Amino acid sequence: MTKKQPPVHQSNDKDNNGENIEVWEDIVNIKDLILSIAICTITTLGGYLIAPDDSSKQLMFGLIGVVVGFAICSIIIKPKRTITYVDEEN
Amino acid sequence: MDLTIIIEMIAASVFGAVLYTIIGIAPGTDETAVLAPVTLVLVLTGMEPIVILAFFISAIVAKKLTDSIPVAIAGIPGGVMSAPMVEHAMVLKKHGMPDVSIRKMASGSVIGTIISVPLSLILANMLIPLGDVIAEYSSQIFFGGAVFLALMTKNRWLALISIVPFALLIQGLRHLYWGIGAVPEDTTVFTSFFLGITIGPIILRLFELLNKDIRNSLPRRKTNDIVLRKQKPIKGFPNPFKLLDKQEVGSSAIASVFGVGTFFMSPVGMTIFLGELFSSRIKEPIKKASRAISSMDGVTNAGYIAGTLIPLIAIGLPLSPTAIGPGIALFEAPPVFTEDHNLHHILSMSDFVIATVIGAVIAISLTFFVTIKYSQQICAFVFKYIPHEALLGVFFGLVIMLAYRDAGLINIGGVLLIGLVAGILHRWGVNYGVQFMILYSAPWIVMQLL
Repeated sequence: MTKKQPPVHQSNDKDNNGENIEVWEDIVNIKDLILSIAICTITTLGGYLIAPDDSSKQLMFGLIGVVVGFAICSIIIKPKRTITYVDEEN
Repeated sequence: MDLTIIIEMIAASVFGAVLYTIIGIAPGTDETAVLAPVTLVLVLTGMEPIVILAFFISAIVAKKLTDSIPVAIAGIPGGVMSAPMVEHAMVLKKHGMPDVSIRKMASGSVIGTIISVPLSLILANMLIPLGDVIAEYSSQIFFGGAVFLALMTKNRWLALISIVPFALLIQGLRHLYWGIGAVPEDTTVFTSFFLGITIGPIILRLFELLNKDIRNSLPRRKTNDIVLRKQKPIKGFPNPFKLLDKQEVGSSAIASVFGVGTFFMSPVGMTIFLGELFSSRIKEPIKKASRAISSMDGVTNAGYIAGTLIPLIAIGLPLSPTAIGPGIALFEAPPVFTEDHNLHHILSMSDFVIATVIGAVIAISLTFFVTIKYSQQICAFVFKYIPHEALLGVFFGLVIMLAYRDAGLINIGGVLLIGLVAGILHRWGVNYGVQFMILYSAPWIVMQLL
């Protein structure tokens, strides 16, 4: 996947008026992204750190933390995608 | 063989197929990051070795089948391995054919699996006498792989020259950790460096967001508008040989054979190389893209299965990128598995055959069916309800945790550093394949410089 350097300042472009940016082929809001990274890091590393001192349990708690973080982010952050369907034409 | 063991293998395979069908669809899930920890946990719980193998084979087949879905629909790689397919899948998407893309990729996967299982078992058997010699020269083989893949890239001099500095960065951090006592001297930090390379491009982009000039120059958009074409449902059980045309079946099959033969190379590198090789002469864009993605998916599957089975059966050391990455828990998971006591030593040839066949058959029949029939529904659900931010966050969180697990707090900084460098190299065209090969051969490369 190549990341093309985006063109600088395309003023008045219809596409250029939102507040979101593209990261890894999809659109994100910078604030939401920071929030999500913070939440997931805290739940994951937190789960790992509060686990009993046992290698496989630490990993389990960490993985549970991942799932919890993911669930929280999925609920509080709205996807920036719109989906429209068109009928298949051949 | 005991009937209860067979039932256990079937149950574990079903579990693996279902779990990794879901995980595979989530964009950006790195194979090592999602497969290695779960397999490790299962090994440590004391599950029968043969059951673990069936689980693992089922998991990789299912994961490889479904990670093509987000590529086809949104151009987001479902994993590192599907990253090379993005470009071609985007061609089909642009022509409003994401469903065709999914069918071609999934069928390529099935062909790759069908070819690679018997071929890997045969090749492994042939390599058993050579196992010790191969083990002795593994570093040289990985270094050769890095050079070869570097020469295959567009900016070959850049890639070639970056080999030594990148190896120095990796070994430099390891020696620092040993020197200050972050890890004991017999521990080589590997997994988290591997993940640092994997998410390098994201880490680089996150750093860039902190730079005001770059941030302001990024184009702003409101939403990502995705158009899905309503697909005609496929009746009955889909047949992979009918979903591909003859040439596509042929090139996926031949590509899969090469994928098995080059099991010790980086599967991502081989995927790029073989995919381009088989499609470069086709002019018509849709045909070219279909040929490329079906062949590529064949290679990734074949490379993964061969990369797991051949080192396991013939050598007993994780001497392929797949074995040392996602499959590492099958080789080393102390105290259950060690270098001198792992699946290689425990299982017989017939055990390997039975576990592999059960795992592969269950994953194909469950996951292929679901992928072909319900890809649109699954995608619509993921796009509507799963924010991209959450996926990036999860990925980031997982890497930070594994970085901490490998060598403590200091390694979080270390992984960010590796990710930053890897991300820049990646943007300059030094692909993952080259970088992974350098990671594997870094200790040897550095010793040659003395």
